[in-house]
Amino acid sequence: MFSKVLVANRGEIAVRVVRALRELGIASVASYSDADRGSLAVRLADEAAYVGPSPSSESYLRIDRVIEAAKRHGAEAIHPGYGFLSENAEFAEACAAAGIVFIGPPAEAIRKLGSKTAARRLAIAAGAPVVPGTEQALSGWEEARSAASVLGYPVLLKASAGGGGKGMRRVDGESDLQSALRDAASEAGRAFGNSEVYIEKLVEEPRHIEIQILGDRHGHLIHLGERECSIQRRHQKVIEECPSPFMASHPELRQRMGQAALKVARAADYTNAGTVEFLVDRDANFYFLEVNTRLQVEHPVTELATGLDLVEWQLKIAAGERLTLEQKDITWRGSAIECRIYAEDPEHDFMPAPGTILHLSEPSGPGIRLDSGIFEGWKVPLEYDPLLAKLAAWGLTRESAIRKLDRALAEYVLTGVRNNIAFFREVLADAEFREGRLSTSFLERFFKRRKKTEADPEIEAAAALVLMLESSSAGLQANGTSRWLNSGREELLR
Amino acid sequence: MKRHVTVNDHSAKIEIEGSRLRYEREDGVVIEGEFSVEGTSVLLNGRSYRVSKGAGKEIWVNGRLLSMEVFDPRDLRPGQGATVNQGRQEIVASMPGKVIRVLVAAGDTVEEGQGLVVVEAMKMQNEMKSPKAGRVAEVRARPDATVGAGEILVVVE
Repeated sequence: MFSKVLVANRGEIAVRVVRALRELGIASVASYSDADRGSLAVRLADEAAYVGPSPSSESYLRIDRVIEAAKRHGAEAIHPGYGFLSENAEFAEACAAAGIVFIGPPAEAIRKLGSKTAARRLAIAAGAPVVPGTEQALSGWEEARSAASVLGYPVLLKASAGGGGKGMRRVDGESDLQSALRDAASEAGRAFGNSEVYIEKLVEEPRHIEIQILGDRHGHLIHLGERECSIQRRHQKVIEECPSPFMASHPELRQRMGQAALKVARAADYTNAGTVEFLVDRDANFYFLEVNTRLQVEHPVTELATGLDLVEWQLKIAAGERLTLEQKDITWRGSAIECRIYAEDPEHDFMPAPGTILHLSEPSGPGIRLDSGIFEGWKVPLEYDPLLAKLAAWGLTRESAIRKLDRALAEYVLTGVRNNIAFFREVLADAEFREGRLSTSFLERFFKRRKKTEADPEIEAAAALVLMLESSSAGLQANGTSRWLNSGREELLR
Repeated sequence: MKRHVTVNDHSAKIEIEGSRLRYEREDGVVIEGEFSVEGTSVLLNGRSYRVSKGAGKEIWVNGRLLSMEVFDPRDLRPGQGATVNQGRQEIVASMPGKVIRVLVAAGDTVEEGQGLVVVEAMKMQNEMKSPKAGRVAEVRARPDATVGAGEILVVVE
């Protein structure tokens, strides 16, 4: 095993990895940009290495600086976390060239799975189901018409060079196909300089369900079951759970999806932790989407349900150890749900809301796991993703996990930056959520049926009372510091 | 002790005496009872609230976000201790209300603390006073006009 590892990331995931390292008796090196000098990961790690100015393009994304930092501190391996350089094949190669172990899959596997189209071709060759559609760009209207009639409406036109919804059109019937094709092609041409369009079967109200895989460097590969991540805003997950509530009515699905995920992973000679993402339709048909060749943000729900420590296994596998777990050893107990606490405003289209954390009182208690990268007084930087923490709950049943999560959200006090804590309580109380009727359009529909409740006047009175006492001289102490900060600090010292 | 309150752009007033509180909103809703405050913990009629200030006017109570300001009706401006009494001064309405009387005219010489405009809100009349000695440059307030919080009433230079 390694004796020292550099964490090439920031925020809550850097804290998560530093914790795993300490548990294994491995020295940790946090990396930090200017904005993260005071971060929690820097405070918790044994050592810390400066990697550059605040913009990630000048620090966390700089392969040369990260590797130089690892060398400077004598780290034998680098854990990339998620995002930043975690899915960068060039980085994995640069680590190897510098004699440093990259904690993740081989560079070649990252390359094979990195591009969506390459991954789709690999999945087809490996025998995993993909969303039916034309592989190549459509030559024209006649080809589009015959392809659409074979696929069956509704279909989706997509730009070959695309992304971000540009050049994408839903088509419900043949009468709309011609104009949609024209619009999609011209939009794609304007956006990407390439007007090629292909056609796919539209999966209506799909669930996003993904399979966690784990493989060692000795040819042994298993899956750790699924996570359902259908609750998304702007195509980004906000609530994840394991098991998926859909599995209760489709008990054979986990096994089938797990096998499909392993086929894809084997075809790419995958090792270490990874995730194969699928769309699942109402009839339990599933379609390969893409592979994330790294640790996922939402890995804690798998850890809670399986009892395994994914980061520990990542480290062991990277160090060349054998994965001593067999597929039959993997069991799922109870239910785990996680919500991502973001510095963003749910009332204004989830706009990021940076600022300084004025008061923080974190939840704990039975069944609660909090992966947090913040503390009172921390200034949430403008430069990065506004993820503050992940709050997860485990219960013997899904109902119990929801109750615990809701209770923990009620305990959570985080002020100074707008956040989505109160919003999650509304989602958890929603009847469709409770029934497990999830799809990737859940939040869109939730906003339509959402009812705003008026604040209890007694809540107003309590707030006014505190402000009144604070504004009077009694509220300020002789040294001019605020009672708020002091009481917050006292709470931390309890 | 009495204070005016603006909460999410509505007005209210709060009055405490000993450990008793009376909170009255402009829509007539009244909360009355016994309170106790310890740090961020408030007990009100036996119910427990956690109150934490956020940035600016933000205040969180049991996970609910309010935008609130509390100020002494005798002060000219909300939430500020010492005001800088130099240069051109804009006297603004500290809360939504109605202009009852305008006490000065443009060109008048005023003393520090002299009344300029009387604004009524929540059935309480507030005299807006000049923060400095000087000359009235401009009077924007008109009798019987409704004014919003932050609206400029008089300019003294």
